[in-house]
Amino acid sequence: MIYLLLAAGLFMGWSLGSNDACTFGTAVATRVVRYRTTVIIIAIFVIIGAFTLGPNNIGKLAELATSNEVMASSDSVRSAIENGTVAELRFKSGLKAAIIFICAGLTVFGINFLKFPVSSNQAITGAIIGWGLFYADYSNPDVLSTNLPKIGAFVATWVLNPLSAGIVSFILVGTVGRFLEKRLSTLGSYDMIIKTGYIIAIVLGSFSIGINSSANVTALYFDYAYSETGIAANLLTSPVITAGIGGIAIALGVLTYSKKVMMTVGGNIANISQMDGFLVIIAMALTVVIMGNVLGIPVSNTQATVGAVLGAGLTRGAKQVNFGVLKSIGIAWVASPTIAGLLAYAVAFLTQGFFG
Amino acid sequence: MFTKSTKTNTVHILLLEQLRDVESCLLYFESFMRAACTKETVHETLKSLAVNVSEAEAKADISLRKMIDSLQGHAYLPSTREDIISVATSCDKIANKCEAIANHVVYQRFNFPEQFAEDFLKIVAITHDQFEVLEKAITKLFTNFGELLKDHSILDEIRSFESMVDKIEHKLNEEVYALDIELAAKMQLAKYVESVCDISDTIENIADKMQIMLITRKA
Repeated sequence: MIYLLLAAGLFMGWSLGSNDACTFGTAVATRVVRYRTTVIIIAIFVIIGAFTLGPNNIGKLAELATSNEVMASSDSVRSAIENGTVAELRFKSGLKAAIIFICAGLTVFGINFLKFPVSSNQAITGAIIGWGLFYADYSNPDVLSTNLPKIGAFVATWVLNPLSAGIVSFILVGTVGRFLEKRLSTLGSYDMIIKTGYIIAIVLGSFSIGINSSANVTALYFDYAYSETGIAANLLTSPVITAGIGGIAIALGVLTYSKKVMMTVGGNIANISQMDGFLVIIAMALTVVIMGNVLGIPVSNTQATVGAVLGAGLTRGAKQVNFGVLKSIGIAWVASPTIAGLLAYAVAFLTQGFFG
Repeated sequence: MFTKSTKTNTVHILLLEQLRDVESCLLYFESFMRAACTKETVHETLKSLAVNVSEAEAKADISLRKMIDSLQGHAYLPSTREDIISVATSCDKIANKCEAIANHVVYQRFNFPEQFAEDFLKIVAITHDQFEVLEKAITKLFTNFGELLKDHSILDEIRSFESMVDKIEHKLNEEVYALDIELAAKMQLAKYVESVCDISDTIENIADKMQIMLITRKA
């Protein structure tokens, strides 16, 4: 019964999968790769990414959730063991995770409805902080000094991630793109480069989504203290299973509800060619994998994609970039964690009788 | 680095074969027009020259179908297959138009007035030159695509031929309507002016299609 609480995270994963698939929209919309082939490749590599490197990205998010009273700390697990209230703690942990996912999910849905690219990663982080602002005593200097560097690290990735993706994309398009262009001898060779490039991009991109997003989807159900206490105080205790379940949820989203998003994805941030299109995805994937593994923080694929598209556009000059659209995206990026945080704060206030 | 596959090579060979057939149809049409603009040409000669045009057109049709068949499979992306078919079918229209004009001249036993012969022949000669440039441009798609992506000037050259034809068409129309003949005869003659010039328009449209094809692939 308690595992029903996983549904909120799985739903988040499902919607994230259907949304993140838009990264590969160009390949499908221009019929370079068939939709069926694309979603099968994505599903396979998302799951592989989630099971292999996905567990590396759970830690930092779980730490942030613990210091913001969303997840149970080792101390509270120990006291629950002493008081015989582990089952209650476990249920409350699962429920809190579900609340965070619902707040983040509603935010993502709302911003998506307004047709802005939104980062679920930002929404989850915002919701965790919102919850923490109510329950964690931020007026306590110890709590503040514990949380501020963690929050700072997450916020830093929101800037560093698109910036790095932009730089990687700028370099990749400027070097590999131009290198390939010079070797175009026939229309057939152009098609071959595009097709091979997109398949490589889909494989790498899906793998990076599996690594990153799986943590976003299920990390809050993971019992971070389990290795110390040996008692399950949350729904999931294995990092591999935790990330893997997230990956499967995302893959299901890709397989069942991604066609519309893929077909409607537009290139209105910058004018990029088919050739640059796959290099942008590769740049996004490289950035997300490297950043995720170096920092151990799940970073946003959406933000990386926007940064990479911008970087590719800049190789053709600033005129190619639609700065008006970027302004709207910037507003959405600020709004996303703020709205999710306010929602979580409101829910925390309304449920204080139960959780407090 | 990126060599041609057998399938794409076959498409290239068959498309060139089709272009050669369209060009030979244009050459027969040129001969036909020369004869049609000569007062002394007897009807039977014109008829046999029109048959040559028709036969060349039929051959071009067969080449087109062979080329389209060769596109089946996965040698090209769907959008490229569509673009190649679009260019090839438009090239086929050139032959169709030559055949239609020749047949109408024969059916109507039409004689091109002597004072317009030079201009009609000039249009046909320019159109032939224009087609030769088009052939070069299409060949570049399969041999030097990278260069064509960067430099579209060959397509501008094709358009410049059409402008020359346009000027002659305008002049001819003015002269035709200034003639002291019945309106029906003027309209019949003007229709031939329009039809002969339309071949050059078709070639220009192919150049436009190629430009779109290049722009959508341009990095």
